[in-house]
Amino acid sequence: MISTDPFIWISAFFTICSFTLLYGDNPLFRIGEYTFAGTVVAHGFVTGIQTLYGNYIPLFQGQDPMAAISLILAVMSLFIVWKKYAWIASFPIAVMIGVGTGVSVRALVSTDIIGNITATISEAGLILVGNPADGLGYAVRVIFTIVCTSYLLFTVLHRGPGSRTMSYLRTIGKYFFLVYLGLSVGNGVMQLSGLATSAINRLLVSWLGLG
Amino acid sequence: MRIPELKRQYIWGIVLIVYLTAVLVPIGAPFPMSDITVEIYNVIGSLKPGQIVVVGGAWDFAFDLESSAAMIPALRQLADRHARIVFAPFAVESVQYQKYVMQASGIAEEQGGTYKYGVDWVQFGYIPGLPAAMVGFLNDVHSAVPADVYGTPDDKIPLMNDFHSWKDIALWICPHWSFDVVVRYATAEHGIPAIYFAQAAAYSGYSPFMMAYPDKVWMTNGFLGGAQYEQLMNTTGLGHAAINAYYILSAVLVVIVILGNVDMISKREKKEEKK
Repeated sequence: MISTDPFIWISAFFTICSFTLLYGDNPLFRIGEYTFAGTVVAHGFVTGIQTLYGNYIPLFQGQDPMAAISLILAVMSLFIVWKKYAWIASFPIAVMIGVGTGVSVRALVSTDIIGNITATISEAGLILVGNPADGLGYAVRVIFTIVCTSYLLFTVLHRGPGSRTMSYLRTIGKYFFLVYLGLSVGNGVMQLSGLATSAINRLLVSWLGLG
Repeated sequence: MRIPELKRQYIWGIVLIVYLTAVLVPIGAPFPMSDITVEIYNVIGSLKPGQIVVVGGAWDFAFDLESSAAMIPALRQLADRHARIVFAPFAVESVQYQKYVMQASGIAEEQGGTYKYGVDWVQFGYIPGLPAAMVGFLNDVHSAVPADVYGTPDDKIPLMNDFHSWKDIALWICPHWSFDVVVRYATAEHGIPAIYFAQAAAYSGYSPFMMAYPDKVWMTNGFLGGAQYEQLMNTTGLGHAAINAYYILSAVLVVIVILGNVDMISKREKKEEKK
């Protein structure tokens, strides 16, 4: 049965507006596009205000005096819109970048670098063990990792002994990267295709009551 | 042979018909079951009643929607296990996404289920400042998030009396794109097992984490993973609809690619003949 919920009707209207772009640019699509952009900005603004309100209530109730530091830094960051005093905003920005970088670098080294090296070494030991199909998979992963890393590490042309071998490795690494990019694009297309399915599914099932 | 011009409107029209057919007349396309999806099913199935599971991360609603195909049946499985669920959104739109999957799963009392808000599940509001916010959240939940999304202070929420830090988290489920942050801080630093219902476009980039943290990190892949999870839960939904569409669309796309190439070659030959 067709939905009587006005929000489902609004959702259906804007979904159809979005799909009209497939025929070509038109006013319906523009209505959908601008409404979406406006809604996202408004939603972000309201959520931001609510978040600030929720986080600073304890400060004004005297339960969390340390929150005053972040409040002062937040107010300082607003000076960025005032050209004469924009330098004041550089202090909170520096704190943000410093804290963000410090927190990220610590974890990045242990997971993305050491973690991946450990995984590659342990997989290299499994190539000749067990099911040959699994072994082939491990071999492919280990070879791809070594060759692609070589490609990135030796971007500057190496001259002297072993330069020819390095140039072959670089070339193979380049092709491996292309394979990865192809896979990523394929996966991306699958995702977008699936999202189109979910939108049509919503139209037919939630709005029209079919399916 | 003269081939009619392939206008994009024709192509989109055909693709639209394919999608409509897939949703209206499910062909029941077969798909392989993944060992990793089965492992995820078993990990959630081994949770003890009352254990706390965090569903959290950050990204846009539209991109994360793909994860809902697996997230919705997984929430039903969590309810079967009587696990307690805490939704932690680290992006503005993640709040809406988490509310959506909870509503779609139908496990909350408001949707006729058994899960009582505040006792069995909690929805936090937007937690700004990834990744520093993640570190703060794991170390001291009450300081990082003093109230839920409705403004109720943590000390008035029964579930929050048992949830103070990472030590209380049995499992982290990430239906959002920011899985790298979850692995770096929750799994690598505190050993919390993590499940990612990955978007297809994110899968290849994050899958090495499964090798780096075996038996701690598991991932499904896009709508296929969703369909697999639906099958394990004996249900059908968005995952099955998407897989049906993939099957028909893949066949149609091959035909379109062949026609496009034949069209291009025939035009090129005509140009050469004119020269």
